[in-house]
Amino acid sequence: MTKIKSIAIIDDDPITVFGIKRMLSTLNVCENIKSYVNGKEAIDDFKSLMNHKAEIPEVIFLDINMPIMDGWQFLEEFITLPITHKIRINILTSSIDPADRENWKYYMTKTHHIIDYKNKPIQKKEIEEITRAA
Amino acid sequence: MDNRITLVGNYGRMLRETQTSSNDYLIKQLPVSTVFVDKKFKIIHASDKWITDFDFINRDVIGLSLSELFGDISISWKKDLNRIIKGKALLSGVENFYDSQNNEKWFEWVNVPWYDEQENIIGVIIKTKDITDTIFDDVKLEKLEVLLKGKSKTSKIGGWEYDAVKDKLSWCKVTKKLHEVPEDFEPDLESGINFYKEGYSRNTIAMAVDIAMTKGLAWNETLNLITANGKEISVIATGKPVFKNEKFLGLIGTFQDITDEVLIKAKTEEQERIFSSIFNSSYQFTGILDTEGTFLEINDTALKFSDLKQEDIINKKFWDAYWWPIPDMVKEGLKEVVAAAAQGEFMRSEIVVIDKNKQPIPVDFSLKPIYNEDGQVVSLLAEGRMIKEMVEARQKLKISEKKFRSLYELSPIAYILSDFETGEILDCNSSFENATAYGKEDLANLRYSDLLPDSSKHKLINFLKEVDLKGTYGPFEHKFRKKDGTTYPVLISGSLVGNKKGRKLLWSTAQDISEVRKKEKQIRDEQKLLKTLIDNLPLNVYIKDLQSRKVLVNKAELNYCGFKDESEVLGKNDFDFYDKESAIISREEDLSVINSLKPILGKETISVKKDGSLTRFMSSKIPLIGPDGKASGLIGISMDISDLKQKEEELRDLINVTSIQNKQLINFAHIVSHNLRSHTANFSMLLEFLVDEKDEKEQDNLIKMLTEASDNLLETLDNLNEVVAISTNVNLDKKPVNLNEKIVAAEKNLGAFLKKNNAKIINKIPDDTFIKVIPAYIDSILMNFITNSVKYKDDSRDPVIKLSVSKKTHYTVLSIEDNGLGIDLNKYGEKLFGMYKTFHDNSDARGIGLYITKNQVEAMNGKIMACSEVGKGTTFNIYFNDKN
Repeated sequence: MTKIKSIAIIDDDPITVFGIKRMLSTLNVCENIKSYVNGKEAIDDFKSLMNHKAEIPEVIFLDINMPIMDGWQFLEEFITLPITHKIRINILTSSIDPADRENWKYYMTKTHHIIDYKNKPIQKKEIEEITRAA
Repeated sequence: MDNRITLVGNYGRMLRETQTSSNDYLIKQLPVSTVFVDKKFKIIHASDKWITDFDFINRDVIGLSLSELFGDISISWKKDLNRIIKGKALLSGVENFYDSQNNEKWFEWVNVPWYDEQENIIGVIIKTKDITDTIFDDVKLEKLEVLLKGKSKTSKIGGWEYDAVKDKLSWCKVTKKLHEVPEDFEPDLESGINFYKEGYSRNTIAMAVDIAMTKGLAWNETLNLITANGKEISVIATGKPVFKNEKFLGLIGTFQDITDEVLIKAKTEEQERIFSSIFNSSYQFTGILDTEGTFLEINDTALKFSDLKQEDIINKKFWDAYWWPIPDMVKEGLKEVVAAAAQGEFMRSEIVVIDKNKQPIPVDFSLKPIYNEDGQVVSLLAEGRMIKEMVEARQKLKISEKKFRSLYELSPIAYILSDFETGEILDCNSSFENATAYGKEDLANLRYSDLLPDSSKHKLINFLKEVDLKGTYGPFEHKFRKKDGTTYPVLISGSLVGNKKGRKLLWSTAQDISEVRKKEKQIRDEQKLLKTLIDNLPLNVYIKDLQSRKVLVNKAELNYCGFKDESEVLGKNDFDFYDKESAIISREEDLSVINSLKPILGKETISVKKDGSLTRFMSSKIPLIGPDGKASGLIGISMDISDLKQKEEELRDLINVTSIQNKQLINFAHIVSHNLRSHTANFSMLLEFLVDEKDEKEQDNLIKMLTEASDNLLETLDNLNEVVAISTNVNLDKKPVNLNEKIVAAEKNLGAFLKKNNAKIINKIPDDTFIKVIPAYIDSILMNFITNSVKYKDDSRDPVIKLSVSKKTHYTVLSIEDNGLGIDLNKYGEKLFGMYKTFHDNSDARGIGLYITKNQVEAMNGKIMACSEVGKGTTFNIYFNDKN
């Protein structure tokens, strides 16, 4: 299993962030895991990384319901960023609102990045499957 | 000479006076009628006989002249007397005169000169002899002779005399009558001759008279006269001169009117001519037979028909004629016919004869005996009329009669022939029998008046009067009585016809109109039904003409127009009822329907009446298309859907509310499920970690996180309870609440919090402001907004909160204006009042306050509007509904 240089977790729930980090650490695929409490923090950080020619995370765990900038607002901005290589975005939510699934399908067609959709709680096995560079 | 005359005169007087005693006596005694006249024809002496003869007994004639005595003495006599006076020898003559009794007298006279002693002629001695009787005897003789000569009736013979001496023509009464002159007419010779017709007649008579006078010859001519009245008559005129002693005394003659005879003769000739031409040119065959059956005459038609000549037929026997088809068979029969006719029987029958082309021709043949004056049959008139045309015509007549009969019998109209005077019904057709149930056998006892019901018999008199006056009557609507006494309506008319015998007959027709009546009633009923139906429809129905004038409205339309009586609406157009704008639109619709013939169906319209009231209609306009294919108007049907519309709007509002609520519910459900799931997911994940965790320190950490997760879950459940409470408490009663009291209470509750944040509240709300709210909610709402204003303050300044109220329709609006951070409504506007939506980095923002506040306001039928500018502040306008 190839190591991933950098992973980002965007979620306002500290328990979820803790859980993902803990599972990733047992999988031992990446040393560099960043977490953001809402989309705005993440997008701002990514922009600053790009400005400094630094690489942005290859895999992103994204929550939908967040204050200030939610998951969808984040995606909207993210797909406009000039990123040529494929980033893997795993949407991780406890929402069973069909509207959210519709949004997912919509964004899949809008970008070359890989977008996946999983409901919480997530199993270790699943994390393994979806944590690989696109 | 004069001197001498004087002398004579004197002498005469002297003589008379002196010698009366001697001479006068002698002369008086003369046995011969003698008179002595002087040269002036004055009577000197007269014998008693003369006096008697000339009827002068009672007159003193002596001294009077002859002229005085006899009137104008005839010229010839005067001439004679003058000759005597001049010494000429003895002359004699015949004269006539009328005596005192106007009797004609004739006398013969002899004149001798009267000499005195000196042999001078001093006068004339006239000896007269009364020859009246002789003369009259002669005349009578002549007359008698003439009369005897005349063969005809005496009354038509008139006599005449011409007295040559007096040059006097006299006509008897009959003659005057013949000349058609009045009885006092006095003819003379010239005028007498002028009565003859100019030309032959007048010339002949003039010559005859001349010859009679000069040569003494009589005449007897048939001549023509033109009477005073201009009528031409034919007469036998005779005349004969009368001489006495060689002297021409005059003429005597007769007229015999033979006009009738001439006319009869002319007529006879004419009749013969006419008969002959008729006989020959008649279209019928005519022949005359003697009683033995021999042809005496045959006409041209018969000859032509058989292509024969006179000599082929005349003197031949009737039955031998060419045209009988089978001579041997009919010969005997014809002989018998002739024999019977000869016995005076009139024979007639239709037979067939052969024409020149051997074609059989039907002929109406008759043989008629001709009688003489004595009643004996002298000849037979045989006539044959070709009846080919007649037979054909009869055929045609039969056919047309048959046609008429069948029409008469089959006609649905009853025909009745009745006697006008008596009312007897003489004939009727089967239609009549069917309608009235009277049969032909009933007719004998039926009168026309029996057909009318008793109640209206008096009308019959009027009918009959009309018939008598105009020859026809009707058509009238009336009732006929059937045999069973029931009646039915009829349309009767009739006309008077006369038959050959002069009997007045009345042809009447009676059309059964019960069906018509029934249909009329049906139509009336249907109309009534339709009217009732239309009137009771919950729709406005009207009919307009091409000028959009209403010609029919139902009750609903009438009520809508605001009138009670149709007449107030009919003839008026939309401009009379609607405001101008509505009327123009309506007229345009009408025109489009009329012109395109396409109906407008189910169109929603808004009509505004003159009083400004607005009605929504679902209206249809359907063209009324006339037989010419063009619109003659339109039918309008409109349904007042104002209530429906209102309900629809209410319903739509309700649906909107429901769907919003539904959306909220789904949204809420998702939120609930999301929140619960996120917590349970955390539990599940943390528990999984805990099971595998060996490190005690890490175990404690996981348990701590589990507790945290549990707290979060409880908090979430509390929030949800709060929201559910609002939704379930919708029916809490609203009460009027003094707004300022509530604000003061909220300020007091938040006193410490406000003081800590250095916040200031500026309240501009009047103290008497009351709002209708659920008291618990207003506390929560005020707390929430004031808290938010402080919570999201701009750190660069102290929070200032301004409170004010304003009135909007049905709402009291509370404005809460702060000078805080503000919010980008373009970005977050739709989520501002969403559950668990937070927009600032404040750690204590839960995303539930505004959601609950909004739910509370909406539960009180209010609403919240927000306006905000980032960096300046936010204003919330809370609309409190004044109603319940």
